Amino acid sequence: MKLKSFSGGLHPPDSKEYSAHKPIERCPLPEELIIPAAQHIGAPADICVAVGDQVKKGQVIANANGFVSVPIHASTSGEVIAVEPRLHPMGRELPAVVIKPDGLDQWHESLRQNDPEQLDVDSLKNLIRDAGIVGMGGATFPTHVKLSPPEEKTIDTLILNGVECEPFLTADHRLMLEESERIIDGINILRKVLGIDQAIIGIEVNKPDAIEKLTRDCAAHNIQVQPLKVRYPQGAEKQLINACTGRQVPSGGLPMDCGVVVQNVGTAAAISDAVRLGRPLVERIATITGPGIVEPKNLRITIGTPLQYLVDQCGGLNGEPAKIIMGGPMMGQTQLSLDVPAIRGTSGVLVFREEDLPKMPAGPCIRCGRCIGVCPIHLQPTTIAAYARLEMIDAAENYNALDCIECGCCTYICPATLPLVQSIRHAKGGIMAKRRKI
Amino acid sequence: MLAAVLSIGGIGLVAAATLGLAAKKFAVEVDPRELAILEVLPGVNCGACGLPGCSGYAKGVAEGTIAPNLCTPGGSETVEAIADILGIEAITIEPQVAIVACQGDNRKATNKYRYLGLQDCNAAQKLADGPKTCPGGCLGLGSCERACPFGAIEMTAENLAVINREKCTGCEKCVAVCPRQVIKMVPLKATVHVLCNSHDKGALIRKYCQIGCIGCHICKKTVPEAYVVENFLAFADYEHIENAAAAIEKCPTKCIRDFSTGYPEGSSFPPATVPVKHPAA
Amino acid sequence: MVELLLILISAVFVNNFVLARFLGICPFLGVSKKVETALGMGMAVIFVMTVAAVVTWFIQYLVLIPFGIEYLQTIAFILVIASLVQLVEMVIQKTSPVLYQSLGIFLPLITTNCAVLGVAVLNIQKSYSFIESVVFAMGAGLGFTLAMVLFAGLRERIDLCPVPKCFRGTAVALVTAGLLSLAFMGFAGLVKG
Repeated sequence: MKLKSFSGGLHPPDSKEYSAHKPIERCPLPEELIIPAAQHIGAPADICVAVGDQVKKGQVIANANGFVSVPIHASTSGEVIAVEPRLHPMGRELPAVVIKPDGLDQWHESLRQNDPEQLDVDSLKNLIRDAGIVGMGGATFPTHVKLSPPEEKTIDTLILNGVECEPFLTADHRLMLEESERIIDGINILRKVLGIDQAIIGIEVNKPDAIEKLTRDCAAHNIQVQPLKVRYPQGAEKQLINACTGRQVPSGGLPMDCGVVVQNVGTAAAISDAVRLGRPLVERIATITGPGIVEPKNLRITIGTPLQYLVDQCGGLNGEPAKIIMGGPMMGQTQLSLDVPAIRGTSGVLVFREEDLPKMPAGPCIRCGRCIGVCPIHLQPTTIAAYARLEMIDAAENYNALDCIECGCCTYICPATLPLVQSIRHAKGGIMAKRRKI
Repeated sequence: MLAAVLSIGGIGLVAAATLGLAAKKFAVEVDPRELAILEVLPGVNCGACGLPGCSGYAKGVAEGTIAPNLCTPGGSETVEAIADILGIEAITIEPQVAIVACQGDNRKATNKYRYLGLQDCNAAQKLADGPKTCPGGCLGLGSCERACPFGAIEMTAENLAVINREKCTGCEKCVAVCPRQVIKMVPLKATVHVLCNSHDKGALIRKYCQIGCIGCHICKKTVPEAYVVENFLAFADYEHIENAAAAIEKCPTKCIRDFSTGYPEGSSFPPATVPVKHPAA
Repeated sequence: MVELLLILISAVFVNNFVLARFLGICPFLGVSKKVETALGMGMAVIFVMTVAAVVTWFIQYLVLIPFGIEYLQTIAFILVIASLVQLVEMVIQKTSPVLYQSLGIFLPLITTNCAVLGVAVLNIQKSYSFIESVVFAMGAGLGFTLAMVLFAGLRERIDLCPVPKCFRGTAVALVTAGLLSLAFMGFAGLVKG
């Protein structure tokens, strides 16, 4: 049988052997937790605690600020020792609440368990929002927004993203293997909220054990498990929809425009906790890996744990680190230091040494067209990037620069090692600035 | 012979008559002052006046919808010429030039990470606020050099932008493109400037830059009327600049520079003269 | 009819005014930075060439030949074309400001365009009939427009390329024009004439 996939994309060496076989371990609590107010796409939350306050695990420490925003919760019980700007994974100092854990790890008394069968759709959505659930794949888009499509859009399919197409990362893989019941419970809640039956879990065939496990467990729940050819960026929403259903999301549109809602498997598991146990999003599973780590692991981490502490839990650094990436190597964010905290979108921490990095300096474009071949959106990255370099923003717009999903395939494949994605991002910034002006 | 003269002459006459008639019949009213103003404008279409080009500005001035003293590249001479055409009194403008208020090149200032991406300051600034540790220092990727319509900016070998005072016309294109606001507009007559753009405290600045202003007040103590120190950063007070040069020797980090003795290190520009009239005029 | 078609194709491709006859190089290099302006210029040239061909044909056969002063052809034609273009410019400026905005700025450039004079002179040299002259002029204009647009497209692409410093600007444009001309040599022999 020919496996389903999408057109374009590529298959970088997936390097998942570092951590794919390691069961999830719980990471102990560090000396202090740094919990930034901005952990999701949309308006940062408003901090509502002060220095000296005693907080309990799951207590709201920052309120949602508008519809596209979610509250932030204390990740453990303890004392607030600072409310100040701290280095954020975004690369600059942003407001954060620093908590000194008291070691008791007590849940806040207001949290109570629910039976999803008994609740109506609106109270389920409210529970999901109040628990601060965001897309756990790394994009951190507030989930309740995705679950509230406008009236005129009909949703008929829920797709669960178990692709984990980024090399190195294995957190979702381990989650699917070890905690499939949480995922399935989350799927059931999501189906109830959306009022639909059809649910597909897309998994790449490089995770045969996860496919087998979920196929077995899902049989009783009318959930389809769809094996997919290994291909990056299959985990991007639009590519996953295309691979699983054959539908195309229109240019500038959203998945809901073709009747689909996509959620990460990690998000589904978090929704199960939020609704059934009443527990907000205060921990997640992340892969600490890369050649610069002594013993790569999959850790269940408390939100706000500094990366240095996570690395220490994995046997420390294996040599001098040259590049630290939060997230996957293709779309993740390079970090300035190991002092930044892990946040809700931290699907992994990758550490590379000098000898692991490519050395080639950027050269001129040789017009080989490989970037065009691998672009999953079928854009012309080299042309857009050239226009971006020359600040010819209108021309870049005509080449649909705004449709770029910044997956990094073009930069990966470029034999001249040109910073194509960065150039296109620069053009996108220019286009958005121009539109704001008009 | 006669036929030749007559026929060519005839064709010429007919053509001339037709053109003459057409010029009358199809005449389009153009304000002669507009054309005259366009003549005296520098014609570089830099946009410093806020309009898309020189012709738009000429039209606006002739119609009286926009002030006649907005052409900075043209300087005071242009303003006077426009005033002559319009028959009004000239409102003179103080000629201005742009300076890069930073001398922290790659040797003197540190970077917080190695930047390998697009060679553009605005793109670099989006990555953790730019590679330079100093929050205000020149990133040195040449966005201003490319934006300058007059070729007045050069990048030194150690990645510092330097603006030639003779070539700069004060159009402020570089000011608009710089993501760190390190390019400042200063009066052309002043040659002594404090070249630093960081408000950080002295101890912090010393960690990342050898040539930044640490806010020590020594310049102010030496020439009290010529310097102001605000928020750990000194500024020259351009109203009382006469004796400012006396503080240069005293400055512990050498961040005050007199451009008439030379441009920042690494620049190929010869020491600046103090021009009496504006160069572009 | 076939004869006219052959004249047209010959003027557009085989004996392209810019790339085979090397006439009108000045606007070809000067106004070819952008496809849009190149197209505008091309349209203006088509228009002026056709009108000029009509007028000069009449001048030749109604004035110059009857008076036996064919040797004054060049000077007479220059005189007529120059005043004609001026006239057209004035009329357009008055009657259609929109057309003037898009076309008008190119008109003064065409006044001294040797391609226009070339069309007029070639019409006489080849003893074309009136209809043939008009078709030939239109074909020449079309060929000019084609060359302009192709060249402008190439130059827009060149803008994206890291051209060595000593080749930037007109140097690389001339090299490109030479290559384009070589390409047009491929049409030689397509039509006899």
